[in-house]
Amino acid sequence: MPKKHYFDIKWLFILAIAAFLAVFQVFPLIYLVLRAFHVDGRLSLEGVKRIYTYAMNWSCLKNTILTAGLAMVFGTALAVPLAWLTGRTNLYGRSFFRFLFVTTYMVPPYVGAMAWLRLLNPNVGTLNVLLKNLLGLEQTPFNIYSIGGLVWVLTTFYFPYAFITISRAMEKMDPSLEEASRISGASPLRTLFTVTLPLMLPSIVAAALLVFVAASSCYGIPSIIGAPGQIYTVTTRIMDYVSVGSQQGLTDAANLAVFLMAISLAVLYFSKFVVGKRDYITVSGKSTQPSLVDLGRWRVPITVLTGLFALLVIILPFLTVFTTSVTVNLGKSVFAPDNFSLKFWHTALTRKSILGSAKNSLLSAVLAASIGMLICLVMAYLLKRTSVRGREIPDFFITVGSGTPSVVIALALIMTMSGRFGINIYNTMAIMVVAYMIKYMLMGMRTVVSAFSQVSPSLEEAAQISGAGWLRRMRDVLFPLIVPSIVAGWFLIFMPCFYELTMSNLLYSTNTKTLGVELFTYQTYHSQQTASALAGGILLLVVAVNLALDRLTKGKFSI
Amino acid sequence: MKRILAMVLALLTLGSLAACGSSGSGGAGASGSSANGAELSGKVVIYTSMYEDIIEMLDQKLEEVFPGVDIEFFYGGTGTLQSKVAAEIDAGQLGCDMLMVAEPAWSLELKEQGLLHAYDYPEKDKLMFEYDPEGCWYPVRVLNMVLAYNPEKYSRDELPTSFQAFAADSSLRGYCSMGNPLTSGTSYAAIVALQDKYGDQYFSQLGAQGVAVESGSVALTKLETGECKEIMILEESVLKKREEEHSPLEVIYPDDGCIMVPSTIMTITEERSPNHNIAACDAVEAWFLSPEGQEYIVKGWMHSARADYPAPPYDSIPTAEIAANAIPVNWERCYREREAIRTLFQENVTVS
Repeated sequence: MPKKHYFDIKWLFILAIAAFLAVFQVFPLIYLVLRAFHVDGRLSLEGVKRIYTYAMNWSCLKNTILTAGLAMVFGTALAVPLAWLTGRTNLYGRSFFRFLFVTTYMVPPYVGAMAWLRLLNPNVGTLNVLLKNLLGLEQTPFNIYSIGGLVWVLTTFYFPYAFITISRAMEKMDPSLEEASRISGASPLRTLFTVTLPLMLPSIVAAALLVFVAASSCYGIPSIIGAPGQIYTVTTRIMDYVSVGSQQGLTDAANLAVFLMAISLAVLYFSKFVVGKRDYITVSGKSTQPSLVDLGRWRVPITVLTGLFALLVIILPFLTVFTTSVTVNLGKSVFAPDNFSLKFWHTALTRKSILGSAKNSLLSAVLAASIGMLICLVMAYLLKRTSVRGREIPDFFITVGSGTPSVVIALALIMTMSGRFGINIYNTMAIMVVAYMIKYMLMGMRTVVSAFSQVSPSLEEAAQISGAGWLRRMRDVLFPLIVPSIVAGWFLIFMPCFYELTMSNLLYSTNTKTLGVELFTYQTYHSQQTASALAGGILLLVVAVNLALDRLTKGKFSI
Repeated sequence: MKRILAMVLALLTLGSLAACGSSGSGGAGASGSSANGAELSGKVVIYTSMYEDIIEMLDQKLEEVFPGVDIEFFYGGTGTLQSKVAAEIDAGQLGCDMLMVAEPAWSLELKEQGLLHAYDYPEKDKLMFEYDPEGCWYPVRVLNMVLAYNPEKYSRDELPTSFQAFAADSSLRGYCSMGNPLTSGTSYAAIVALQDKYGDQYFSQLGAQGVAVESGSVALTKLETGECKEIMILEESVLKKREEEHSPLEVIYPDDGCIMVPSTIMTITEERSPNHNIAACDAVEAWFLSPEGQEYIVKGWMHSARADYPAPPYDSIPTAEIAANAIPVNWERCYREREAIRTLFQENVTVS
């Protein structure tokens, strides 16, 4: 009898979650696809044909594939060595560097666009002018409003997605494999290329996918950097269509959105079913601290190089944001008379609407991260601890959700969740929480799945033999072992939700405006300085939280 | 429960088919009560594209005038608001009782859809601009599309002083910027007016000029830093910066005329509005159109829509002077040919 009981509870959880995903994710996305192929209620390719007769739409598709593709290649190419250097070598200040790179994940990427626009615009960009004078050039060397500029900002602000994924995998890798290679006489470098990297391949592919999807579905960066240089991506075009404000506009947007979804699914398919098949079992039950590779005489030069990279990619843009936030007339130096002011900080920290939005962001991100983690936990259990047929389906949905561009998710939810099909959560915080979960659960999912793989089922089996029920085993055995991963996963979902822009921009209403929307609105409509102050405030907050977490838990619970 | 809800929704939809003309009587009756704001109660949600600073100022004043009414503003760019309302109409549930959005052509569209309540404003003859004869919309604030430059970085003598030269003068190539007609109602009105005046080639010239299509705040900063020599922008955003930050940026009132956008105020019909508070909406509408309400519009760096209002906003020139040389906007065309005009603009200006 007890055995039957234990099955019931498990299935209740699993069915509830499967139903949740089916209603809030699968159904809206299917509806969106159907809508793209319907004109006036009839099945028709007319809408699709019309949208693709415009050359401008082809150019935005091309731009999206090109920029996201390059950002993926460069981002991964940066993340792999950086993850290795900070995780597996005796690089000076490696935990500091790791902290810096992770911090980039925690700030809104469009803040980067705001900074780089000031540094590298072709006419008067600070860095551009400096380089021009320094090198005695006739023209400024860089133009941020170009494909190259877009790729640069996308890469530098999305490589942390890959960095986090890859460095987690590197830390979890069984060091004995590398040790075996070293004992057999291979050099550290040879071990890296013949053992470590091949073992890392599935994680590297997953990381690359994350970067591609994030970069291709990003709206803030292309709208700030691409649009002024007449480089439109699918997301900026979709937003334009949506803001036409007509049914026709929504259908046109849906048409482009379906294409973006198709690309993402293709990449997903490739990574999951072609490359992902090579799923090495790299993590054993008893993990020990991996040994560090001695960089030898390369230690100092490589540390300097990493430092320069961090300076250029992280410190410089953040510094620009802070300077902007205290400069009254941006045409003059911040040190010019009467040009320094804290009034923008004052506005950012006291304005009623901004404080309200901060509260909304906090609440919706906490909800999304908490409910999301719960779902991830159950799904990871399903995947790693049962042999149920179709157990990969929810995991697949979570991956598809993350792979679906934000704009697509938001559109699909607006169309289906506003009362027409019996559920009306439009204009409420619930619709945002659902959207956030669909988009960002994957990071949490990957974290707990790898934690599950690390805990040998033999521990649970021992408890089961001793008579513990499913809930008891979860509570007393599995849960305590994976708590650090749960906390890390929770933050990985929480952070991007906290400043999310693309979806919030379409879903917010009177009472549910969020920080991301607020920041973007200030940046584009009101005041760059106030936007910068707000961005600076968010940055300080996340750094403080991450530091505090790190200290309080002695390094166990930071991201 | 769900069935009851569906029935209520269906009834509401049916009710809304009765166009705004039929609800006129309710409006006329309510206008009497607008004299005393203290008697009113309930809630009113206003979607608006006015600056948040102005909203904050208005919010306080309205609390004084209508102590019993909970007036809530929701800020968004015109495009954002239009798409929001479109999605809400699609879903059968509007979130606002009133709208104060930049693009007047949208009023024509909403009226045609029977969404607007008719209010007979007693002093409508005082208004300087066209209003809806049935009272579905009135001009409440006037926005002017102008050119702007930074005298600290470039001399006015070297810069074009007309919209025509703005697109044609090669010295601006790569150094000019304008608003996005797809998200900003005033920018859209501007490109329609300029297309009427100078033909389709105006768009191709803008494209060749490499004009950056972006939002006002970004463009102003570019003017400040010298990244742009000249921008096409709303007069109010320059005036605001001049008064608040003592910014050196200056407005150029173009030789070939400003583009005036008399933005409207409108109320959603009682049946379709979320708060069913027509009496309060009428009173709020009357207050905005009154000299006292207009004072706040002018304080917010916009021009008054009333002919009898004495002063222009800070540092501006008299409204009548601007109106005398304005480029006319064909609002009917703005609305009817929206898709074609936007696409033509996109194909010419937003693809390199």
